[in-house]
Amino acid sequence: MRLQINGEEHDLNVVTLKDVVKHFGLQEGLVVTEVDEVIIDRSDWNDMKVHDGMNIELVHFVGGG
Amino acid sequence: MMNALTIAGKQLSSRLFLGTGRYPNPFVQNKAIEASGAEVLTFAIRRVNLSAPDEDAILQHIEKPFQYLPNTSGATSAEEAIRIARLAKASGLSDWIKIEVSQDEKTLIPDPIETLKATEILAKEGFVVLPYTSDDPALCYRLQEAGAAAVMPGGSPIGSGLGILNPYNIELITEQLTVPVIVDAGLGSATDVTQAMELGADGVLLNTAIAKARNPVMMAEAVKYAIHAGRLSYMAGRIPKKKYATASSPVQN
Repeated sequence: MRLQINGEEHDLNVVTLKDVVKHFGLQEGLVVTEVDEVIIDRSDWNDMKVHDGMNIELVHFVGGG
Repeated sequence: MMNALTIAGKQLSSRLFLGTGRYPNPFVQNKAIEASGAEVLTFAIRRVNLSAPDEDAILQHIEKPFQYLPNTSGATSAEEAIRIARLAKASGLSDWIKIEVSQDEKTLIPDPIETLKATEILAKEGFVVLPYTSDDPALCYRLQEAGAAAVMPGGSPIGSGLGILNPYNIELITEQLTVPVIVDAGLGSATDVTQAMELGADGVLLNTAIAKARNPVMMAEAVKYAIHAGRLSYMAGRIPKKKYATASSPVQN
């Protein structure tokens, strides 16, 4: 499935948003997701089916002032 | 006398807010955090680097619970700041947000209109809003009225180390506001921190001054003492400045 993730094209074999987070080996408690400009709460990741062409943002806390 | 600082009902043991950017490495950062005594740590929100997800991740290095204060750095409008604030809150880690909106990459001077707009909207949404703002007393007052839990005027541009360029304004702001005033940005050393506290600030926010000091851990400790000294001096009340001498020793016999 072709997904736009953090501005890059990715071809992944995934069903849900949770699969996407797992695919990249991210620590679930530290990542925030946005799908087509809507924030998806962590508790909804498993129910959130992803589709071709979806625009996904994965963000987290980094060092800053 | 050194009564604790309280923001949005949370009592803080330290008046230092510490940034987490630009340290030489996570080990030095943790040592500096420890030496500073800071309880509030600031962060930025960025895209995960998918080819090296752990590269920038910061929280895995932070050892004990802190009050997290994510910022909206990178935002150039209220809309962008609001989006970043909502993302930060969705982390489940904090509902505090440092509003930082700038359209000028060279000075990073905060945009007053967009900052006020974002503060108003996010405060209504229930965020604990701490806007980073220029040192304009009228604007700082408007931010307080818009629902800011604390107001954070800059001493000088971010990372410049120029200290407090307009002490008159900072003093007016600390006199006029009823919410805590945190002097944020531009402070370069313990001297600047003491000055901010003597001007009546309730706290200071530092990053570069500590992270980029030759010895960040030692500077973190210096800043801790500077806050204490400045606060005591403010509470003690300085003498008025006079043009001519007044002898300290008896003038006769």
